[in-house]
Amino acid sequence: MSPLLDVTRRFFERASALNWSIITILCALALIGVLMHFSVAGGAWSGMPLVHGLRFAGLLALAVIAAVYITARAWRDFAYWLYGGALALLVAVEFIGETRMGATRWLSVGPVSVQPSELMKIAIVLALARYYHHLDPRQTTSIWFAFPALALIAAPVALIMHQPDLGTAMLIALAGFAVMFLAGLRWRYIVPAMALAAVGAVGAYYGVLHDYQRARINVFLGLESDPLGEGYHVLQSKIAIGAAGLTGQGWMRGSQSQGDFLPEKHTDFIFTMIVEEFGFIGGVIVLALFGVLMWRTMEVAGRPRSQFGQLAAAGVAATLACYVLINTGMVMGLVPVVGIPLPLISYGGTAMVTMMAGFAIVLAIDYHPD
Amino acid sequence: MSGRRERSGFMNRRDMLSAGGGAALGAVALRIAYLQTLDPTNYREASDENRFDLRVLAPPRGTIYDRFGTVLASTAREYRVTIRRGAVDDLERTITRIAQLLELDAAWIRRRLNEARAERPDIPYTLFRGLHWPQFAALNVHLPELRGVAAEAGERRNYPHDTVFAHPIGYVQKPTVRDIARVLDEGGAEGESRAVYLRNPDVRVGKAGIEAGLESDLHGQAGWRQVEVNAAGRVISEVGHAERAPVQGAGVVMTLDANLQRIAMQKFAELDLSTQAERSGAAIVMDTVTGELLVLASAPGFDPNHFVNGIGQEEFRGLNESERKPLYHKAVTGNYSPGSTFKMMVGIAAKQAGMPDDWSVSCPGYFPFGGRNFHCWRRGGHGHVDMHDALKGSCDVFFYRAALYAGPERIAAVARAFGFGQTYDLSLPGVRAGVVPDPDWFARAGRGQWTPGLTVNFGIGQGDLQVTPLQLAVMAARLGANGRAVMPRLVREAPGVRAPAPFQMIPGIDPAHLAIVRAGMFGVSNEGGGTAISASNLGLVRRPDNGRIVERTPETARFPPVQIAGKTGTAQVRAITDATRGRHYSTIPWRFRDHGLFVCFGPWDDPRYACAVVVEHGGAGSSVAGPIARAIMRETLLTDPARRAPAQLARLEANVRRPA
Repeated sequence: MSPLLDVTRRFFERASALNWSIITILCALALIGVLMHFSVAGGAWSGMPLVHGLRFAGLLALAVIAAVYITARAWRDFAYWLYGGALALLVAVEFIGETRMGATRWLSVGPVSVQPSELMKIAIVLALARYYHHLDPRQTTSIWFAFPALALIAAPVALIMHQPDLGTAMLIALAGFAVMFLAGLRWRYIVPAMALAAVGAVGAYYGVLHDYQRARINVFLGLESDPLGEGYHVLQSKIAIGAAGLTGQGWMRGSQSQGDFLPEKHTDFIFTMIVEEFGFIGGVIVLALFGVLMWRTMEVAGRPRSQFGQLAAAGVAATLACYVLINTGMVMGLVPVVGIPLPLISYGGTAMVTMMAGFAIVLAIDYHPD
Repeated sequence: MSGRRERSGFMNRRDMLSAGGGAALGAVALRIAYLQTLDPTNYREASDENRFDLRVLAPPRGTIYDRFGTVLASTAREYRVTIRRGAVDDLERTITRIAQLLELDAAWIRRRLNEARAERPDIPYTLFRGLHWPQFAALNVHLPELRGVAAEAGERRNYPHDTVFAHPIGYVQKPTVRDIARVLDEGGAEGESRAVYLRNPDVRVGKAGIEAGLESDLHGQAGWRQVEVNAAGRVISEVGHAERAPVQGAGVVMTLDANLQRIAMQKFAELDLSTQAERSGAAIVMDTVTGELLVLASAPGFDPNHFVNGIGQEEFRGLNESERKPLYHKAVTGNYSPGSTFKMMVGIAAKQAGMPDDWSVSCPGYFPFGGRNFHCWRRGGHGHVDMHDALKGSCDVFFYRAALYAGPERIAAVARAFGFGQTYDLSLPGVRAGVVPDPDWFARAGRGQWTPGLTVNFGIGQGDLQVTPLQLAVMAARLGANGRAVMPRLVREAPGVRAPAPFQMIPGIDPAHLAIVRAGMFGVSNEGGGTAISASNLGLVRRPDNGRIVERTPETARFPPVQIAGKTGTAQVRAITDATRGRHYSTIPWRFRDHGLFVCFGPWDDPRYACAVVVEHGGAGSSVAGPIARAIMRETLLTDPARRAPAQLARLEANVRRPA
């Protein structure tokens, strides 16, 4: 038997032992994405639906390969480097970043442009998991050891707020706090911290936020009504969801989506389109799929004995949950409008790369529990 | 063992977080349910409001006909190509492809490309109007490959005689911001919905001439249709819930005769040899029995078709700033001194004042009065003249003195009786009244005490006296009708328009006085020494067997000639100075030259038509205005429109509406 064949055979043996329930749900969500992009494109496979499907297939293949060959231990060893690199890139964005539509988020290297803030979404989870991995239980619950963790979170959040990208900053902060919570931060610190965070949020509203961000929050809070400006997206989205009924208007027949009343329907507002065309039932099915994905990932988190594996897997699950909850809350007026896509379904490469990288790590933790 | 404790602590937290996440997902699902059921906002209605749009269907305007049924303004189906820049991938390639299909040249592509680029990306820009059916069909076949391009059918106001009826018929335009503000000022829901209607890109309203004057009759009733639209307002599907068909506006038959109007405009368009330009002025022909206006011409004309879809700024400025004022409706709004055409009024007034029939003056060429000399146009003078000869030779000195004999009040009263100083309801905007001065008016105008010198000037139709060409025609018609108070009419048939009652005699006008001035006018046109003999030789005779008017030929030369009675006039634009006196006209700047006027009626034996012509800065009335009037009168008498059966609106509209 030739060595190449041997390698291939062993790869498939090992791949077959991966967590296929997670992979199946990922595929189902991506497929829903493809169907929705087909509807957005007005019934054409070429373009968005095809790109979305191929992108997912490619990233899934990479994730499977990575899960087979890169162990959880390797991720742990690499965690600080990844975090450090991402932070360095965020600093670089400050100085040589590319400004598009008023926000400086991109770094261009030749034809490739990357958003270091996306990389940070995974890096923060790994770095915090790595940080707590080395602490003993007594240290973990001590207030003094919470500060380095907070610093790990604060540095990228501050840089990303400054770009400005409120949504991503919020997401990273939430993911980071989730890991701290999972690691065992005591309730007696959590409650005052939340109060402090509330005060900080009010302070940020008056001091740090840009006018357009403040306007979005005002509209959300009902302090301002701007049905043709900042409130337009959410109003149109609520109309589409409110008028959809139990089963919706039918695939490719949503009048709000097909008539372009609903903006950003292929990216941030795709959940609205799902509900408009497939109704309450369609929306609940998608939410349930995310719920099951989260539950399966949390199950993986319960398997390893290493603190790193537990926290990293649960951190990815928490990040996923944040994505889904912020996005779906946003399209229904429960959360202010921040640019957070619906994972695996919204069109766009960066968010999918982030999510698939996260699940590559989850699959690796599941496959190599220690 | 510590590991176990650690693990269970993590597991607790993990389960808590999972439960929290699950609960939050459940809350999101509940939120969907809430929005669909309990939320008081009616989202379904809001969605339908988004989705369905009431499209206003602008009604076709009523057709405007001349007295014999010739169409002067109509609404025609028009096919056009529009492009929405925002939806086009490659504007240049798309426009080039369209040019290829429509066989248009590179210059067209360049121009349209520039204009389309200046347009907002979401607003459809009209690339080409007036496609022929084969072009429209060819384009439709290729539409699927031309994203953002639409071939549409619409309606367009069309003026087939372009410049000829520009002034009496006018034109339609998109409602202006001011029009919309005005209906909004009227207030209420009515004003608001009217404003929305006016903003519709297909809606046009009359802005000049009869189109403006009879706007409410011509406009018709708007219809609407519910269509499914997208956010940009583009129609996705024509299938809506309901629709109401628009109702075409009422048809209108004018008193005008298209043939005569065209001839009048052509006469003005003939180049003036001294300026190498079109002439400027007005010509009117009026039926002396019915008062119907057969010709209402103002020159130069302009093409009203250019206004319908928005006239170019350059072109508009050219029209608006031209010295010859083509946009100005001179026939009814132009104010001129009548000059010698006013002398009939002075003559009648003098007669009323008791001037004996044998009263005469000796004209040495000037009239010394009040320390200065009032000149006669003939520097050598007319010698001994009575009223007949004074009219015939247009002797100024006679009428200076006749005016003093009559007094300004009497002259003004006669002038008003013959139609000056008043406005007429022709369903046209801006018909002006002019000015008939008298001592009262003078005092009210704050000009102080009337002086006899003003009376002298009044005698030859100069001074403050201001008349419109329409009023000159009314005067000529009343003289021709032997003192009947003929009123002008422009609309034969329209909603609410009825034939007028027969006209009464003007009270207080002695037929004997009228006969004297009419005979004088006959002399002007037909007797030796008349100022308009050459302008009055029509070359027409009346056949004794059937009474028809025909051209004079060797065979018909023995039949009695058809004659007219007229009066020339020359109105000073500015006072003659020694520098300009006696100078040839071609050496004086155009805008300082005298206006030439001519009024007449005919045929002499049984007057039916009156005509007034004003040629701005045309020099003496006999040299320019006379020949134009002659050409128009000749054609009028030859075709005799008053005695031919006019068109009937009901029959015209029946023809139009007959299904194909």
